[in-house]
Amino acid sequence: MIEFIGVEKTYANGTIALQNINLTIDQGEFVAVIGLSGAGKSTLIRCINRMHDITGGQLNVDEVDVAKLKGKQIRRFRRRIGMIFQSFNLVTRTTVMKNVLVSFVPDLPLWRRWTGIFTKAHKIKALEALDKVGILDKAFIRVDQLSGGQQQRVALARTLAQNPDIILADEPIASLDPVTSRMVMDDFKKINKEMNISVIMNIHHVEIALEYADRIIGIRKGEVVFDGPTNKVTKDILGEIYGGNFDEIQSSFEENSAHV
Amino acid sequence: MTNVEKQLFASPRNHRYILTVTVIVVALFVWSCLVVSFKDVNESSLKIAGNIMKGLIHPDMDLLFNVTKQSVLYLLLETIAIAFLGTIVGAVLSVPLAFLAASNIVPKPVSWLTRLLLIVIRTIPALVYGLMFIRVSGPSPFAGVLTIGITSVGMLAKLYVDAIEELDTKVLESMTSIGCSTFEKIRYGILPQLLSVFMSVTIYRFDMNMREASILGLVGAGGIGAPMIFAMNSYRWNEVGSILIGLVVLILIIEFVSNKLRARLVKG
Amino acid sequence: MYDKIFPPKKVTLPNGKVVLEKRTRTPLILLVLIVATILSVNFTEFSLKVLFTRINEFFVIIGEMAQPRWSYLPHLWKALVDTLQMSLLGSMLGAALALPVAVLSSSNVIRSKTVVAVFKVILSLLRSLPSLVTALIATYVFGLGPMAGVIAILLFTISYVGKLLYEQIENADMGPFEAMESLGMNRIQAFRHAIMPQVLPGYLSTSLFCFEGNVRYAAILGYVGAGGIGLLIKENLGWRDYSTVGMIVVVLVVTVYLIETVSEHFRKKLI
Repeated sequence: MIEFIGVEKTYANGTIALQNINLTIDQGEFVAVIGLSGAGKSTLIRCINRMHDITGGQLNVDEVDVAKLKGKQIRRFRRRIGMIFQSFNLVTRTTVMKNVLVSFVPDLPLWRRWTGIFTKAHKIKALEALDKVGILDKAFIRVDQLSGGQQQRVALARTLAQNPDIILADEPIASLDPVTSRMVMDDFKKINKEMNISVIMNIHHVEIALEYADRIIGIRKGEVVFDGPTNKVTKDILGEIYGGNFDEIQSSFEENSAHV
Repeated sequence: MTNVEKQLFASPRNHRYILTVTVIVVALFVWSCLVVSFKDVNESSLKIAGNIMKGLIHPDMDLLFNVTKQSVLYLLLETIAIAFLGTIVGAVLSVPLAFLAASNIVPKPVSWLTRLLLIVIRTIPALVYGLMFIRVSGPSPFAGVLTIGITSVGMLAKLYVDAIEELDTKVLESMTSIGCSTFEKIRYGILPQLLSVFMSVTIYRFDMNMREASILGLVGAGGIGAPMIFAMNSYRWNEVGSILIGLVVLILIIEFVSNKLRARLVKG
Repeated sequence: MYDKIFPPKKVTLPNGKVVLEKRTRTPLILLVLIVATILSVNFTEFSLKVLFTRINEFFVIIGEMAQPRWSYLPHLWKALVDTLQMSLLGSMLGAALALPVAVLSSSNVIRSKTVVAVFKVILSLLRSLPSLVTALIATYVFGLGPMAGVIAILLFTISYVGKLLYEQIENADMGPFEAMESLGMNRIQAFRHAIMPQVLPGYLSTSLFCFEGNVRYAAILGYVGAGGIGLLIKENLGWRDYSTVGMIVVVLVVTVYLIETVSEHFRKKLI
């Protein structure tokens, strides 16, 4: 369970990114965070695994006060939270397998960490993770030979190999074409339902968010302006989230319907 | 004015620029032609040219294939050893220098100074280094290794720097989110990115070093160069022929292997 | 072949799927590298002990070179001019000759496979000869002096520019070429109008780059008697007059730097 209690985040240059955020996200929810670029979506997600420090309020993940963690504790805490990025963030010059194995590195004894020789158990776990996202056959191919969609699946497998309770996804489909976007979203949905992993996702495509997520959180200028189940989202609510900027919603609707 | 005419006048007019460049190039050409002189070309030089060709066609087979320390095979092996070890020495020296010259790793003044040093290292001719190192180690292949090492630094470090400055740092963000420490990020995030480029560049330089190593003998720094000079100075062109044939074949083989290896490193 | 000696390892997943993992080559590569290093150390009498005890000699010389003898500067001009003329003329003629040679080595322009193969072999033979060796041979034919240097640089430039150029020609888009042929042009005309515009910037840029390198080469060619500044380097090194050598190096660094800056300016414009 993730609890935001009056969370605030002000950047060093004085920009207020988040203010008075109060949210409770239960284990196994599929949450989509929507809003304009710069509204604070990315900051919100990155506070959960301490990629950003909060400047006010309290943030608990499974009864752990995230702000109080230090050094090694942070790293151990992050082991339970997977993260997916818009640009996949893989080492493209090496094989899929080696990228996935990286998620075991912090648990290795020192000599294995230096030499990069992994145990058979770890290798099998990595292969299982690749199997779950359907790219087992690509295990020993170099990442730079895969398509964007396949690369995002490698990233997903890397996260799954961590055996996380929560997956944070920062615009995971923003660099993918519509067809592969849907394939990756299907993977997220499957992981969410079958393994009961919470998914919290920033997403730009409103249409896709409404289709896949159980719950929508709308953010505008650092504040939560909507929080509720997907079926409660109306056009008026979208208008409020996007600050009456209907053009943007309109175009994103059209863009998506054109793709379907 | 019709549209066609408008377009005609709108066509880019850099004639003056091209004309200036052409005039300068032609002037440089004429000026450099002053160096041409055929006053030393006479009957004897034609005869020598003929002898050289004859030597190349009838190489000294015994020199090429016997197994003593004077044979071409042994000397080629020594040349490879110089080039190989020199490349390794150069690569080892280049890594720290490359990091010191990378503008995304160290402050600007440090990277600028290191780059200046690299330019100076690159510009001093190999033979000068060769003679300097002979003072260190005496006339031996060892001096050749050191020479190849330092001449490789200039180019290797420059190409390593390019790889370092092109590093994809987004990977590090995802490794932070996995919970990796700084050491783990370098070992699993940066090293794999650099390793294949570094290896590819180093193999390429080894290929070039074969040529460098074959001339170091001129100054007594080992390899096949010295016997070649002796043979030439005493007009034993069939010996020169066998040495050159051995050298060219070896260099072509190494170039072929190095191209294959590098293609594999790039494609994976 | 490696996979046959060390067959891929089978990894079975709990759900029964089987994945073949190729054996890693890292241990073999490491082994080869280590053995080659040890052999080379024996061959070349490499010794860290000598290196550490005697390396100060090297820095003594560097120290002397770091105090260049400025009074020597006026004696340098003639040799420097010779060097520049040698590299300019060799590069220009070489680059010009490289064009027909490259065309004759391009399998997409020339129909005869024999011609293409012969010219490709000639190019790689030329490229594998160190330029100092060509210069040395040239001194026997053209006598001591810059002329031998010009020949050596010319041959190297043909081989270098020629190779890169024929690779560009072979990778050029052949569509326009076929269109020109269908307009009734012969292959040379079609090459001139369809492929030349595609490869021209690359050709000029390669030639400039080659010229930059040739200035460096030209500087040492004098060592074997092929004229230019190398002769002075040889003499002064022979007399162990390192501060004069230092002066020569300073002049070289400045010259090379200036030429590189100018040439880089034009190369950037070309791309």
